[in-house]
Amino acid sequence: MTSKRLLSAYTWLFLAFMFAPLLLMIVTSFNDTSPPSVTDWQGFTTKWYRFFWMPVEDLRADPVLRILDRDRFAQCFGNSLTVAGVVVPLSLLLGLAGAVMLTRWQSRFNSVLWWVLLSPMLAPGIVLGLSALVFWGRVGVNGGLFTIMMAQVTFIAGYPMLILMARLQRQPVELEEAALDLGASPWRTFRRITLPFLAPALFSAAVIAFLASMENYNTTMFAKGGACTFATEIGAMARNPNGHPPVINAVGTIIILLTVAFAVGHALLQRKERPA
Amino acid sequence: MQGNDVALDGVSVTYSNGFTAVHPTDLTIRPGEFFSILGPSGCGKTTILRAVSGFVQPSAGRILIGGDDQAGKAPNARPTALIFQNLALFPLMSVRENVAFGLEARRMSKRARLAKAEELLDLVALADQGSKKPGELSGGQRQRVAIARALAVEPSVLLLDEPLSALDLKLRQHMRTELRGIQKKTGVTFIYITHDQSEALTMSDRIAVMNAGRIEQVGTGDEVYSQPLTAFAATFVGEVNALPGTITSREGGLVRMDTALGQMIARNPTDMAEGSKAMLFVRPEHLRIDTGNLVNRIEATLERRDLEGAFLTLHLRATATGQPLAAHMVNTGAPLPQGTTSVGFLPEAALVLPEGPVAKTGGEHAA
Repeated sequence: MTSKRLLSAYTWLFLAFMFAPLLLMIVTSFNDTSPPSVTDWQGFTTKWYRFFWMPVEDLRADPVLRILDRDRFAQCFGNSLTVAGVVVPLSLLLGLAGAVMLTRWQSRFNSVLWWVLLSPMLAPGIVLGLSALVFWGRVGVNGGLFTIMMAQVTFIAGYPMLILMARLQRQPVELEEAALDLGASPWRTFRRITLPFLAPALFSAAVIAFLASMENYNTTMFAKGGACTFATEIGAMARNPNGHPPVINAVGTIIILLTVAFAVGHALLQRKERPA
Repeated sequence: MQGNDVALDGVSVTYSNGFTAVHPTDLTIRPGEFFSILGPSGCGKTTILRAVSGFVQPSAGRILIGGDDQAGKAPNARPTALIFQNLALFPLMSVRENVAFGLEARRMSKRARLAKAEELLDLVALADQGSKKPGELSGGQRQRVAIARALAVEPSVLLLDEPLSALDLKLRQHMRTELRGIQKKTGVTFIYITHDQSEALTMSDRIAVMNAGRIEQVGTGDEVYSQPLTAFAATFVGEVNALPGTITSREGGLVRMDTALGQMIARNPTDMAEGSKAMLFVRPEHLRIDTGNLVNRIEATLERRDLEGAFLTLHLRATATGQPLAAHMVNTGAPLPQGTTSVGFLPEAALVLPEGPVAKTGGEHAA
């Protein structure tokens, strides 16, 4: 009996450890004080959210918000979308190629190849970012969005590869052999048999690659040169010695909401796909 | 549709790990024939099938279909269609789309290929199931979809890799009749791989018995069963009693042989010489309890009797050596021998063959 109680206590502690900071962050995003605080309650406000769309006059009138550069923030966020827009399709393509090769092309170099393709995921982000910067610098490309994309793709391509490999391993090779045997070209076999089977996994892989690209900080930080992204800009704001503005908490709250919405939507879709 | 002949000319297959799955093999399969390759698992029969379909490259030799050398031709360029052991139906496509897939790959218009698919579904008695997904069909229906899909591309040779092994007994027996019927109706050459001797015996025009990468014997079911040429063929196809010994003399087509159970006389189909080490084979249905004036006799004790329905299997043990023996008896209700008895057989009903590997267990008995 005590072991059961211990386990439930542990579970609750674990959940508290996970979620208490998030709850605090959400609460402070509605507190009218900066830097963010839970103990010093100055009244309910939504201005940390309205920061993103309030008129310029209101912005100038606020002592905290006036020193923040809203346009720069928007521009960095746009940069992140641009980077993700290239990184996601590129890593899906590379990941798919790697997954097909590792599952369908039987070679004794496969295990070596597996480690080579996955090593960027294990390598420290600093190394990836710096090496992208140094390599492209030698070629004559300065740090910027392009080097961010290249540095991110090196490790983000690993996620789609793992997800697609898991899916490909569940499809019997005989299906592809049957298609070939019936006269289909390898390309038609891939398009009509393999790709439809991979579709759900491709979607998951795209979502994960998108999130990985958006939230990446360390690799991006070292590869970015003079450019900025959503993550590096938040990082810069958070390093304010006088404490960061609660706008960051508002952004964090929105991200949590989106994540929960995604997860619920995914679960609902899956239930719809497999009734009972 | 028209069947083509298939010829293997010195074909051998050695895998990259050094394992030789098929030793140099010559084999001719006639056009429109139902040809079975029968052997235990791992004997190389599937490798032969995959070599004919183009998924495995022979290490040596040529494969000819209709006189046409298949070297360098990919599976999608060969006039063969393969039915996989797990059927490999496309799960995301409807039954109709599955059947039409090969025609789609041949750039046939959508309307023409769907019409053709309906025709074939009709042939395999699935005319009203075209819109379902393969997962919604029963095992036997899925089986027939696989056949229709393979026949849609009008192959001249249909290759079947133990396609009935996943079905239950009743369905398997039913599908044998259907497969044979479809083969007769279409005239396509069938090459059928199985480890189940009763499948091979009931359906085939001819059977190749295969063991350890070599074809031991090719012949009709009757030939393979009644006139096996090797110890393996004798023991793998059907049940058999085997007695090792040495040939002491020859008299016409018969030989006299010394065994641990005494002297026996039997046929000598492979023309073995005096003094050769040999094995004597006699089928359970040729062992008689009523020994009368038989020259070949063995003292034995009845240990157990199994009721098979129309006949009985008697399990005996030879008094001299303790060797188990099996005899079949028509179930007429006649009294069974008690205690020590004597069993015997006609010289014409037994044969001696050179010593060689024997099947560990006979081919699977499905019936």
